[in-house]
Amino acid sequence: MKKKFFAEHRRFWLGLGSVLFVLAAWEVLLTYVFPLNPFFFTKPSLIAVAFKEQVISGALWGDLAVSSKAFLWGFSFAILLGIPLGALMGWRRKAGYTLDPFFTALYASPLVALAPLIIVVFGVGLFAKSVLVFALSVFPFIFNTFAGVRSTDRLLINVVRSFGGGEKDLYLKVILPSTLPYIIAGARIALGRGLVGIIVGEFYAASEGIGYAISRFGDTYRLPEMFAAIFLLMIAAVGLTEGMRKLENVLAPWKTTQESR
Amino acid sequence: MGAPLIQARDITLVFKSKDREPITALRGFNLEVGKGEFVSIVGPSGCGKSTFLNLLLGLIKADSGEMTLDGSPISGPGQERAMVFQEFGLLPWRTVRANVELGLELKGISSPERAQRATELISLVGLKDFERHYPHELSGGMKQRVGLARALATEPEVLLMDEPFAALDAQTRDLMQSELLQIWERTKKTVLFVTHSIEEAAYLSDRVIIMTARPGRAKETLKIQLPRPRDYEMRLTPQFNDIKSRIWDVLKEELTSRVLQ
Repeated sequence: MKKKFFAEHRRFWLGLGSVLFVLAAWEVLLTYVFPLNPFFFTKPSLIAVAFKEQVISGALWGDLAVSSKAFLWGFSFAILLGIPLGALMGWRRKAGYTLDPFFTALYASPLVALAPLIIVVFGVGLFAKSVLVFALSVFPFIFNTFAGVRSTDRLLINVVRSFGGGEKDLYLKVILPSTLPYIIAGARIALGRGLVGIIVGEFYAASEGIGYAISRFGDTYRLPEMFAAIFLLMIAAVGLTEGMRKLENVLAPWKTTQESR
Repeated sequence: MGAPLIQARDITLVFKSKDREPITALRGFNLEVGKGEFVSIVGPSGCGKSTFLNLLLGLIKADSGEMTLDGSPISGPGQERAMVFQEFGLLPWRTVRANVELGLELKGISSPERAQRATELISLVGLKDFERHYPHELSGGMKQRVGLARALATEPEVLLMDEPFAALDAQTRDLMQSELLQIWERTKKTVLFVTHSIEEAAYLSDRVIIMTARPGRAKETLKIQLPRPRDYEMRLTPQFNDIKSRIWDVLKEELTSRVLQ
């Protein structure tokens, strides 16, 4: 029975085991093998204490709220603008050819380089950070929607047309559902880029936010606190990614069951 | 017998493309199909037989010639015709039931009526226990049953079948042929069936039309004088072999002439 339990949840136990192993190794190495200067390095037990002080006590929650707000604004606008733009590029070949070079260049470039410029133009604060998040996360939405629309199966278009379906039916019954998994995949990429945007924005110029907290702790050699903030960020990122996966299960059940086979 | 249900006179269709020579798919193609008749079209690859079905379906237009259904010219897709596609053409995000309902939905039929019709057809093709499955969970034979149910659901007068069993393994194909005959005998649809298989054409049809190599036209028509209902054992008779070899003799010339070109 016990064996079977492990076999069924193999993925979970192996994953948990590897995480615990790395943490334990880190702790042991820094305690007994190379006891480094705590100014330059830290270990899990100290981070745990700091995490308790900073996160569980609520000291970092205000920062988290500030960062989340900028993230949500930027990300929402990326969705609202990116999906229609990508769809337009997919449907109208001319629009696709016209816009493609600009977007490709922008997508390929490390746009975080624009952070100083954005802050000069929009000042320090929520708006500038939202713009940075938007600039980084809009392109995966554009390109994935574009690719999704373009790769719609011609046969399915013909099927719907053969039953008398008009243009609206093609969009709603074929193009949209077949593009949806692409959009969700794009959202996962956009998520990571958006998080980079928020943190970099707060590194450059901010007086609050998780990114600001990380840089402040780093500057003052409070490494356990800094790692506690990074850890909080990781939890948020993993939570969002998992949420995205759940969303995919709900929105595109045919796709997920197919992949897990 | 009065006027034929389907009449195609002197059809010519040329595919033009920017970077290639234009291809004349059909030239001077003539065909007549009576009401309730089961007619197969066989011919070498690329002779335009599938193209002709697309013309009949109304998805593409001929460059010249006249095509009528029940006396009126065909100008686009319509309620009286439904196609069963070679690659099934099922929407992957729809369950079996929702796929069967697709045509009814596009024709604006109310939801309770759709449900009732879908239930009837799903049980007609023997998929009662699979209504909630997605296409990727079905075997090839089951997928094509869904394709057949979807086409029949809209109650067309004419069933167009474009190599519907070509993607199936040999045994499944034999089974599907017998089931198609049973369904045809019950529903008395007019069927126009495109196939590569001489055996399939001989077994199913009232008449077999053999086409020339491209540009395609009807070369010869053979009446299949086998009694109905037909069963699998009939294929083992000398009479059946005779029919097959007659079709083969006509087709052979076209295949060799094509190779020599």
